[in-house]
Amino acid sequence: MASVTYKNVVKKFGDQTIIKNLNIAVEDKEFLVLVGPSGCGKTTALRLLAGLEEITDGEIVIGDRVVNDVAPKERDIAMVFQSYALYPHLSVYDNMAFGLKLRKTPKDEIKRRVNEAAEVLGITDLLQRKPRQLSGGQRQRVAVGRAIVREPKVFLFDEPLSNLDAKLRVQMRAEISKLHQRLQTTFIYVTHDQTEAMTMATRIAVINKGNLQQLDTPQNLYDHPNNLFVAGFIGSPAMNFFPAKLAKNGEKMLVDAGDFKVQIPDSHSAPYKNMDGRSVIFGIRPENIHDPEFAPQNINGEKVPAKVDVTELMGNETLVYLVSGKNTFVGRVDPRSKLRINDSTQVVFDMDKFHIFDAGSEEAIR
Amino acid sequence: MEISKSSSRKAQWQKKSLPYLYLLPAFLIMGVITFYPLIYQVIISFTNFETQHLLLGLKSPELEFIGFKNYVDIFTAALPVENFNFFRVLEFNFWWALSNVMLHVPAGVLIATLLNTEGLWMKRIYRAVYILPVVVPPLVVATIWTNIFDERYGAMNQLLANISTYFGHVGPIYIRWFEDVKPPIPGFLPGAPLTLAYYAMMMANFWLGWPFMSVVATGALQSIPKDLYEAASIDGATGGQQFWNITVPLLRPAMIPAAVYGFTLSFNLFNFVFFMTGGGPARSTELLVTFAYNLVRNLRWYGVAAAFAVIIFAVAMVVFLITNRITRATQNYSEA
Repeated sequence: MASVTYKNVVKKFGDQTIIKNLNIAVEDKEFLVLVGPSGCGKTTALRLLAGLEEITDGEIVIGDRVVNDVAPKERDIAMVFQSYALYPHLSVYDNMAFGLKLRKTPKDEIKRRVNEAAEVLGITDLLQRKPRQLSGGQRQRVAVGRAIVREPKVFLFDEPLSNLDAKLRVQMRAEISKLHQRLQTTFIYVTHDQTEAMTMATRIAVINKGNLQQLDTPQNLYDHPNNLFVAGFIGSPAMNFFPAKLAKNGEKMLVDAGDFKVQIPDSHSAPYKNMDGRSVIFGIRPENIHDPEFAPQNINGEKVPAKVDVTELMGNETLVYLVSGKNTFVGRVDPRSKLRINDSTQVVFDMDKFHIFDAGSEEAIR
Repeated sequence: MEISKSSSRKAQWQKKSLPYLYLLPAFLIMGVITFYPLIYQVIISFTNFETQHLLLGLKSPELEFIGFKNYVDIFTAALPVENFNFFRVLEFNFWWALSNVMLHVPAGVLIATLLNTEGLWMKRIYRAVYILPVVVPPLVVATIWTNIFDERYGAMNQLLANISTYFGHVGPIYIRWFEDVKPPIPGFLPGAPLTLAYYAMMMANFWLGWPFMSVVATGALQSIPKDLYEAASIDGATGGQQFWNITVPLLRPAMIPAAVYGFTLSFNLFNFVFFMTGGGPARSTELLVTFAYNLVRNLRWYGVAAAFAVIIFAVAMVVFLITNRITRATQNYSEA
């Protein structure tokens, strides 16, 4: 059991700075997910923690020990690789026992731990098989099992589900969450898939271009993104953005997107009072755009004229791709919606749930 | 109805016979250059075929069929040839091939692993240089090494003399590498004394042999995923443990066929042995193939040579079957 801290961590490969001054404090027993687009430095951050890459500047602390110069095997961590990295010439049992054997763990202790882990993961029947005789999902389990038997202080996962098919990924997602509950250990998990991040994490660190964008609980990240990048990255389909200007209309504040104007309700307008004429980006999530026929009554609805471009029926909801002037955006509307291609309509924006970002700094204004 | 049936049967026959027609030229050529000599050789191995029978061949009036006498003579060392003992040559031949492979493979793997170090300077140049011995003609190689082991002027004796000055020895050293019949380590290989010439040839052939193994190992090393080493380092394996637990087992599928190839190559390394020692001293470095050559070229006992060749054929067959088995038993770990 241990906390993990990145203190002003910098990583350079030659002239290229991959990580610029990363500061993250992971609490003991936390499930932290590092998420970001490919090439953002999240995997490098994990590899620095594992000791597979050398840190250029700053400190990484596991528990109360600075591990900058500690060899990977002394860090008391276990890692699950994207490729699983199972030893192809060893049986499942020996794959899991490998680390314990190197540490001269007594034989019956190894046996007990491997069997226990195999039981938890449901791979007891596979212990004598070689990795090539296993399916992707089974290999994944063995890779997790190899980490479990070591009983490390911190578990590291490097995109462990990205080689699995969609159905298996959903299943393994739940299993890894369950595992975290059961083991009560610190998990640090890297993924580019925001759904994985949202469903498993206790907290999420969003990283882009080597910088930490926001570190928060999934719900806060979703509801209160700090900046344009986080707002666009978290959520699927992504938040809709409209370049706009704030405008004063008597006592009211308006968002003027050119092709449409929406009024900010008084209850939310305080932060924007003195921003008349300011260039901003107006953001609204697809689920806060309603088909006028099914819009809830108790919201601060604002009508926006739009034309239907494409509709996608998902069963439990319908995605409507809309065009308003030069803006295209997506609404996630009631499945009973009768909107069809080329219909002209007035969709309803729920103005209790909007986001406004500064057009220059892209930071949220709230 | 009748007509169409017979014509379809004809078409079918044509279709069936066509592949054999294509194979026929190859069979004819193989028959002339492979099967005919093979059978002819087996026949004359039961005769006293010598130079005077060359003109008329099997029709020679004085050619005698002497049954298994040639074979018996070879096995019982009853041939009027000095220092010849079939079983000693056979044993030496196997040991020669085996000891070569046992040196070349580990050396090749070790050097390939060292040269595979990340960030090593001028890696490509080393790799290009060490492949050079493979492309030098064997006669040139043998000549150079014969000179290196020259008793009076050879580099090896000079080097030993230089080194020995550090141990208080003064003056030149004259080791008779290719003449000394006394084995330096008596009883090392019971039944087949290993003379200095053997050790000299081992050194020369080492120079020639490890680069090939290194090339194979380099290729195989690059196909081992890097994350296996990373996983192992997190699992707690030191560099040495990673070498033994990952590199060695994962190189095995590539190295065993290479070792088998190296074994057969050394087993029949005619030109090298022939040019360096000529099988001497006292036939102590004779291989089966060099001895067969002596029987034909120098003694011109065609009947005996044919019998000897049949025996070599049988030995080669056994070697082939065993090595083939080993190669096939080597499973690939590729995750398919």
